[in-house]
Amino acid sequence: MSINRRVSLRWLSRLALVAAPLLVLPAAQAQDTIRFGAPLPLTGALAPEALKQQQGYNLWAEEVNKRGGIKVGGKQMKVEIVYTDYQSNTPRAVQAAERLITQDKVDFLFAAFGSGAAKAASTVSERYGVPSIAPAASSSQVYDQGYKFLFGTFTPNDTLTTPLTRIVKEKAADVKQVAILARNDLFPLAIAQEMEKAAKDNGLDVVFFERYAINTMDHAAALAQIKARNPQWIFATGYINDLVLIRKQMADLKIEAKVLTMVAGPAYQEFIDAAGAGAENISSASWWHPAVRYQGKDIFGTAENYVRLFQAKYNAMPDYAQASASVAGALYQMAIEKAGTIDRKAVRDALAAMDEMTFWGPVRFGESGQINSLEPPVFQLQGGKAVVVHPPAISQGEFRVGVK
Amino acid sequence: MLLLQVLINGIVLGCLYACIAAGFSLVWGVLNVINLTHGSIIVLGSYLAWASYSAWGIAPWTILLVALPLFFLFGYLLQRGVLNRVISARVLVTLTLTFGIDLILNNAMLYFFKADYRRLALDPPLGSLIWGPVVVPWDRIVAMGFALLMTLALYVILRQSRIGRAIVAVRLDREASRLMGVDVPAIYAIAFGFGAAMAGAAGVLMAMVYPISPIASGAYLGKAFVVCVLGGLGSVPGAVVGGLFLGVVESLGALALGPEHSVTLSFGLLILFLVVRPQGLLGRRGFE
Repeated sequence: MSINRRVSLRWLSRLALVAAPLLVLPAAQAQDTIRFGAPLPLTGALAPEALKQQQGYNLWAEEVNKRGGIKVGGKQMKVEIVYTDYQSNTPRAVQAAERLITQDKVDFLFAAFGSGAAKAASTVSERYGVPSIAPAASSSQVYDQGYKFLFGTFTPNDTLTTPLTRIVKEKAADVKQVAILARNDLFPLAIAQEMEKAAKDNGLDVVFFERYAINTMDHAAALAQIKARNPQWIFATGYINDLVLIRKQMADLKIEAKVLTMVAGPAYQEFIDAAGAGAENISSASWWHPAVRYQGKDIFGTAENYVRLFQAKYNAMPDYAQASASVAGALYQMAIEKAGTIDRKAVRDALAAMDEMTFWGPVRFGESGQINSLEPPVFQLQGGKAVVVHPPAISQGEFRVGVK
Repeated sequence: MLLLQVLINGIVLGCLYACIAAGFSLVWGVLNVINLTHGSIIVLGSYLAWASYSAWGIAPWTILLVALPLFFLFGYLLQRGVLNRVISARVLVTLTLTFGIDLILNNAMLYFFKADYRRLALDPPLGSLIWGPVVVPWDRIVAMGFALLMTLALYVILRQSRIGRAIVAVRLDREASRLMGVDVPAIYAIAFGFGAAMAGAAGVLMAMVYPISPIASGAYLGKAFVVCVLGGLGSVPGAVVGGLFLGVVESLGALALGPEHSVTLSFGLLILFLVVRPQGLLGRRGFE
């Protein structure tokens, strides 16, 4: 018995000798790097959006590490981003966020993609007290739960539709009737409802408001009805493939309008490429545009610099989706450097108190955690390029009337 | 007039659906394999058309001449090399296998073509046929014409040629046709090849109409499924009738109930038919 015990004790001590470095190593590593968790829909229907976010995060992480890392107190810490794929499945986004916190031991989180998944997963980050920045959630319902650890870089949807309506009223006074065709999905429907509200507030007549189902392969019936109502303004929401198809079918059915607005495709270069000549004079609004000219104090500084770095890495133009992911990282960086620690609570407080200029625009978070300092640009596709027409400070051209 | 326009839209859309579903129906009917790769093969066909047009300016209808034999070969080899090994197993096994192959195809496309949406924009565009108050886009008419032509060709092959009769014989009674000297595995491979060729060709035609992306495969597969159940399994005229029926019902439904219900309507019909008339509109055992 005693021999056995002695043997097992000896074994145990040997084991401890071997295992000790293993136990110490991860801890030592954790002190050199800050780990950020990013649950993303890397496969499935939302994969194109997830890839954009990933590009944004990776660019930021690469730039930070190239410069030695984030300054925390007296030392520099590298950045590591841990991705999990939730397969475009919202319930799995919640599990993915929890796994990142409990198993992958990340220090901070980026929220899941889109308003729905970000809201669902935010319950987890709140419960564990992990700060979470949402780079792709605009609906104010995401932020109305009184959560303390959730922040968002998109202003509410009405900040897109209100300036749009105002500029149309100003430049195309004969626009009286609006037709709205919305994808029956959280964000596209929410923005369509905001549009309806903005139109009514500005004395426009909403003559058609219909939603189409996700995976709709034909819009001819809805478009024929719109054509019969003959509105001057057509407002369609959805994602790239929906909007490209709608635009093509509009041309097929010879539907013309004074103003054609589409959200959220036209901000993407792929949309301009896919829509071809049909893209001309389509108006839209988004939270950021490469043409904005803010002098930021973040790692990227200006939109020009951001575009340059992005093009060098990906050989493509960035849009608001990638820029938002990058600025979410940059905001963490500023908050951590200010707090001088990676303590979650301290970083959360630094984010809540933040009042900084970035390449994305001025950043201040409201009581709910959603950004309230940004004035999103309105733009129009002219000659195969997105041209900012509002706000006046960064305007690049005049709003044009007529879409054929 | 609105009604007429919507009705014609529905008929044209129905022909596209028929084109999407014909090959799927053949494979399901003859091999008793629910070919989940069907949607991905359609998308592959679209990429072929897109690449040929943007690189060399070859029109999609010309590419059909290449696509048909190419995808036939692809289907033939896939069946001979992979599917034939489990063809006599229960339907769940072949279903799982095609599901796996579909995942591979889909992710390969995501890898090579990225998830970006592309569109084959003919230059100059074909425009639209304007007939009084009714407008019908030419590219859809062309796609519809080719779709009907190919479906007709498939019908004639199945009825008139020796191979076609052998396919039908295998479909009716595998054991008896084997006793009559039919090389059943070869016939399976040929039928699968026909199915793949139809899918690839459908993809070439759809490239003119729809934006192209790997993600579209699921939507195509869903439509093919509904059309087959509506029209009747394994019947080529059934695919046409089912496609037309679905196209018209969806369009009229969108007009009457609003566009958000057109997809609901098509899957509602699917359930109704499965319960009330599982053999479909034209389906019966012993087809052609």
